[in-house]
Amino acid sequence: MSATSDEGLDRVELLEAIRRQGKEWDVLAPRYGVTNPNPPWKTSLIGTSECLAAGGALPALERRKAEDELAEAVYRDVPGPERELLVLVHTMLSRGLLAEGELAARMRAVRSRLEEA
Amino acid sequence: MSTGHRHDHAGDGHADHDHDHKAAPMVEEITDYEVLEIAVRELAIEHGLFTAEDHRRFTEWAESIGPANGSRLVAKCWTDPAFKARVMKDAVKACKEIGLDWLEPTGSGTPSDYTNFIVLEDTPTLHHVIVCTLCSCYPRPILGMSPEWYRTTNYRRRLVRWPREVLAEFGLLLPPEVEVRVEDSNQKCRFMVLPVRPDGTKNWTEEQLAAIVTRDCMIGVALPSPGRTADVHPIHKARRPVQASVQHGSAAE
Repeated sequence: MSATSDEGLDRVELLEAIRRQGKEWDVLAPRYGVTNPNPPWKTSLIGTSECLAAGGALPALERRKAEDELAEAVYRDVPGPERELLVLVHTMLSRGLLAEGELAARMRAVRSRLEEA
Repeated sequence: MSTGHRHDHAGDGHADHDHDHKAAPMVEEITDYEVLEIAVRELAIEHGLFTAEDHRRFTEWAESIGPANGSRLVAKCWTDPAFKARVMKDAVKACKEIGLDWLEPTGSGTPSDYTNFIVLEDTPTLHHVIVCTLCSCYPRPILGMSPEWYRTTNYRRRLVRWPREVLAEFGLLLPPEVEVRVEDSNQKCRFMVLPVRPDGTKNWTEEQLAAIVTRDCMIGVALPSPGRTADVHPIHKARRPVQASVQHGSAAE
């Protein structure tokens, strides 16, 4: 992580860069006339959280506690689905389940793949 | 309903489909949130934190569930006293009668789901409402995925302290003679509310009754009533809105 603390509550530059873009679903959906209240990746995100809990890497209770803390301390102004995503990733980075560098690289690869389609 | 979507299915199965309708609108850009969700999932799978098969199985199940099973259970309790007695005695067992097996809700097991389920019966003088103060435990096999607000600290922390006030924010104003009980869910035990059958539903079929038993009625933040078939949360206007002069700092202390 580019910024860490014992509590894992410091901001993560990779995630801050994403939120600065202001591309949350509640902004984009009305712009395109979409009425679905949740972004299409929402269920998949829940699936990732559930699978992390089931496999023991990030128990649900610990994830919810981290979400409570991070939602108040760091992501207070981010809407629901995006906040859940940022908090999950933030927590995984804090716990060493992911490295910020590999995540940034994978994001570039994923975007490249999606834009090819 | 006429939509201009014309299908000619006569003949040999190679019908001419004239799809002259407009496709539903979509968000025509790839956001970094979407990219991030995919990247995290792929890396988690590569790191062996879970398998792609685990993820696929869960998301398929999550997409398939909703509150319909709960609505059916309540309607059946209202019309079949013997069934209600079985539900109150052993809800896990009784749920099998409506085709729901709590021990195998996905057909292949969901390790993060629980072992017990209890239905809380309301009376004219007793009202139940459920919460999970620690995290967001919820009876998903019977009510579907939890609503966003159920998982917020706002709801979880405040409901146990000020239940009547929080229920009022959902538009549910209970008279003082009605006792309110808040039931706190946990990892091993889930709850749902069996509301009182409302007046004006005599001779209704189970299907008609199920239509007014919405998700919020089974959480306990709403009451069923004829004609109310969807959960719509009111937006309360501020009683004492901030005056422009105060907002600009010119008001006297």
